[in-house]
Amino acid sequence: MSNLLLLLIVLPVAAGTACYFLRSGSLRTAIVTVTGAILAVASLGLLQQGAFAFQPGSFLGIGWGSIVTVLDFALLFVVLYFGFKLQNLLIKLFTVAQIALLGFFELFMVEHGAGGPALVADNLSLIMVLVISIVGSLICIFGLPYMKEHEAHLKLKKSRQPQFFLYLVLFLGAMNGLVLANNILWLYFFFEVTTFCSFMLIGHDKTDVAVRNATRALWMNSLGGLAFLVGMVWAYAQTGTLDVSAMLAAGPATGGLLVAVGFLCLAGFVKAAQLPFQSWLLGAMVAPTPVSALLHSSTMVKAGVYIVLRFAPMFRGTFVSDGIALCGAFTFLACAALAIGQSNGKKILAYSTVSNLGLIIACAGLNTPLALSAAILLIIFHAISKSLLFLCVGTIEQAIGSRDIEDMRGLFKTMPRTAAIAIVGILTMLLPPFGVLLCKWMAIEAASGHLFVVVMMALGSALTVLYWARWAGLLMGGHKIGGPSERQPLFTSFPLKLLCLGAMVFGFLAPLIYSELLAPLMSSAAMTVDNGIIATATGGFAIYPLFLLIGVASLFALNRAMRSRDVREVAPYVGGANVTDEGAFNGPMDTVVPYSASNYYLGEFFGEARLTLGANIAAVGLIVLMMGGAL
Amino acid sequence: MQGLIFAIIAVVFAPVAGGLLAGLDRRVTAWMQSRQGPPIMQAIYDAAKLFGKEKLVVNRWQILCAWVYLIAAAMSVGLFFAQADLLIIFFVQAAGAVFLVMGALSARSPYSQIGAQRELIQILTYEPMLILVFVSMYLVVGSFNVSDILAYESPLIAKLPLMFIVLGYALTIKLRKSPFDFSTSHHGHQELVKGVLTEYSGPFLALIEVAHWYETVLILGVTALFWATSWYWMLLLLVCVYFAELLIDNTMARMTWRWMLRYVWGIGLALSFINFIWLYAR
Amino acid sequence: MFKGFIDKSRAKSPWIMHFDCGSCNGCDIETLACLTPLYDVERFGIINVGNPKHADVLLVTGCVNHRNKSVLRNIYEQMPSPKAVIAIGACGLTGGIFRDCYNVVGGVDKVIPVDVYVPGCPARPEAIIDGVVEALNLFQQKQAG
Repeated sequence: MSNLLLLLIVLPVAAGTACYFLRSGSLRTAIVTVTGAILAVASLGLLQQGAFAFQPGSFLGIGWGSIVTVLDFALLFVVLYFGFKLQNLLIKLFTVAQIALLGFFELFMVEHGAGGPALVADNLSLIMVLVISIVGSLICIFGLPYMKEHEAHLKLKKSRQPQFFLYLVLFLGAMNGLVLANNILWLYFFFEVTTFCSFMLIGHDKTDVAVRNATRALWMNSLGGLAFLVGMVWAYAQTGTLDVSAMLAAGPATGGLLVAVGFLCLAGFVKAAQLPFQSWLLGAMVAPTPVSALLHSSTMVKAGVYIVLRFAPMFRGTFVSDGIALCGAFTFLACAALAIGQSNGKKILAYSTVSNLGLIIACAGLNTPLALSAAILLIIFHAISKSLLFLCVGTIEQAIGSRDIEDMRGLFKTMPRTAAIAIVGILTMLLPPFGVLLCKWMAIEAASGHLFVVVMMALGSALTVLYWARWAGLLMGGHKIGGPSERQPLFTSFPLKLLCLGAMVFGFLAPLIYSELLAPLMSSAAMTVDNGIIATATGGFAIYPLFLLIGVASLFALNRAMRSRDVREVAPYVGGANVTDEGAFNGPMDTVVPYSASNYYLGEFFGEARLTLGANIAAVGLIVLMMGGAL
Repeated sequence: MQGLIFAIIAVVFAPVAGGLLAGLDRRVTAWMQSRQGPPIMQAIYDAAKLFGKEKLVVNRWQILCAWVYLIAAAMSVGLFFAQADLLIIFFVQAAGAVFLVMGALSARSPYSQIGAQRELIQILTYEPMLILVFVSMYLVVGSFNVSDILAYESPLIAKLPLMFIVLGYALTIKLRKSPFDFSTSHHGHQELVKGVLTEYSGPFLALIEVAHWYETVLILGVTALFWATSWYWMLLLLVCVYFAELLIDNTMARMTWRWMLRYVWGIGLALSFINFIWLYAR
Repeated sequence: MFKGFIDKSRAKSPWIMHFDCGSCNGCDIETLACLTPLYDVERFGIINVGNPKHADVLLVTGCVNHRNKSVLRNIYEQMPSPKAVIAIGACGLTGGIFRDCYNVVGGVDKVIPVDVYVPGCPARPEAIIDGVVEALNLFQQKQAG
């Protein structure tokens, strides 16, 4: 047990440090790969052992609790240093406030003996550990060839990869710690570590815009940290314990404690980049792609939703819960709308992430067993599909030098493998029977009693279809299925293929995941699972039969597409003036006019400039509503 | 088991019904225009002819997309008659619609590109309306399952009159009737040639045609749920609705997508809210 | 049985594509007149489609010139077989009064194979309908032969 935990939390720290000091590229490759493999195996081992509670002993005679406290202050002072270096008033302000509050808390309020076990895992934590360790590791491995290419492109004199991989691998350890922590002080510490790592990674390229966006990420997340600290201190003042599971066991919170939970959820909102805090995650796009993939799929933002989900039992049945559902659903709708106005592939992915996180948080707010199951399943499915898509965009960007989806038109012709994987990735985000759609179905069924929430979900899911479908459509094209293949390095193609496979089959496993892992978490059964047919109180989803039917059908359709004989390929219709089969036509004065096209981005309805301000104001209003509900 | 049998029967006979309905549609339209019009079997002749033509494509993605569209449409009808969950039926149907668009986008043709973009906006417009209709049925019946909705003892239309109008909008868009027929049109030769369908031809156009018949059956099936307590009234309701669709088709000018999005979302959401509030008030 | 039904359907559903190859619009007006309620060719399942990829029968009016002969050929190429071409009017048949112009290639059959010739200046709607019916007979003969 302790060995596994050591591997999951401390090994990444050690491996990251090793990456930093051993500057050789091949050593780094070996370290990252081996660490990734060990993490994946260790997370499976932890799952095998099931739920547990664990109190670590001491390290060199000093209790781990004290070490965490010291590190906590050290980290805050480092952040403060960056606040001065970047001359950012907000960072300074929030960090000084945190140092003062934490100092007061440690010196005058807290009794460390009341901590309970520092690390506790239930199935939610175990699932999170799996997602972090497996998806996260795959992203780190993908990062190896990517960063080599990235630096070759930047023509750096001195490689900055050691630093990059230090924070990348460290991130995994911090996330594992965060989801396993039971002592709320530890939770806070790991929360701050992820903030700091993300700051370093976003600013990695050291361009002006990178530094600016990293600064924004830092001040916003410092605000989140402050909210967490306030919530923590308040909760301690009310309950007198640092033990999260003890707080949860006490049942729904009332009065002052509810306010404390509200602050903790606010911290989760910031971390999960919910409206109006979405701008830090959008700014994070300037970082190299593995960072975006990591932030968006398995770490960081998932820490935010994890915290909201973790404390869900404490606000069950209160007005805060409804407020959270409204906030989440509104983010789901608004970000889906904002994504429509974008042509930058990474930005579409970013808005889609925020939108899906909104859905998860809305489910946490609905707080029924069905909704909570949907939220946890969505964390898994979203992590897989979204990391896959980010890695695809990264690969495409390095090949074509653009992340604009307009430049990806007909990409299948030049990059058949990556394009096909990207298309599959997109389809797993929006079509039945794949997991993300399953969760959306569960969410809508769970929300059907809440008028506003369900209306926002209905509108949001339609908007989602629009921006995904047109992207997948324009990736197609080119002329041959099964044409010449493209070359991918092993460490690029392996994560892509594995994630692609995962995205396709994990929906199939959903009934299993539910009955094995989620059902024990829930107070009452969310649904019954019988031979892969999910039945809720209000509907049903025959997963195995549907998977089988759709699987056979798509194979048949694919077979028709690839094998049909006597198919004649002709140029598109352009009034008969076509001159090539690429869509070019004979224009005025016998000049050849090349084909060009563009999507509708519906700027007058869904433009960023048009929507952002209003959406942010509305979101602030909803958050005030939610917090007000606690009073 | 019984559900499975129903589903298979529906999958086999829905295209026949849909095809005849499409023929009838053209016949009645001709009557409204004081013409004689084609035989009732015309739509089926058309599809059969298309199946016998050469396989002409721009690229092979179109074959894949046309097949998936057909299969998804057939599956959604099958699921409907197996009395499954309305939302699942809807999502399966939407998957087909998405593939139709993707196939059109895969061709480098200005007509099919613009048609596909407009089709996407149509999907965007009717999808939330359909989900809201299903949610309203849930609010009355307490279940999304078609079987439970059929078992409900009084006609839904009495409690959901406004949602029935909302469904009417979705129906008009889904059937590609004026004023919402701008992604493609039943009568070609317009500014977009045939919009989203331009580059599909021969057997693959026939697949899409058949899929469209399935979709017609599905959406009329959803309409029938509004008066499922008696066969007589259900049939009368369907006849009236379809005739109203034809009347709208023949008397309205085609409008723009901007207008559609504003108008349908505006009216649809307003009607839904009012109807939902009625339900809560009871 | 299914094949027999398809063959029967071919005759029942000829979709036409009308291409104006440089006509004076006289024949075009007569062609479109066929679609009006007076003649109502939809009785026979005839639809005027705007796209060669959906068409079975290509109606060409006017004489071919050097500028549009490639367009005519492209359109013909983009029609899925079985297909038929009907040349309409004096110009479509031979180039008509324009046949000696410097820019004129001549009749439609100089560029693509023509199955049915409908004479007239302009051709009458009845004659055009008759031409389409004749083309359908050719379809069936091709099938048989």
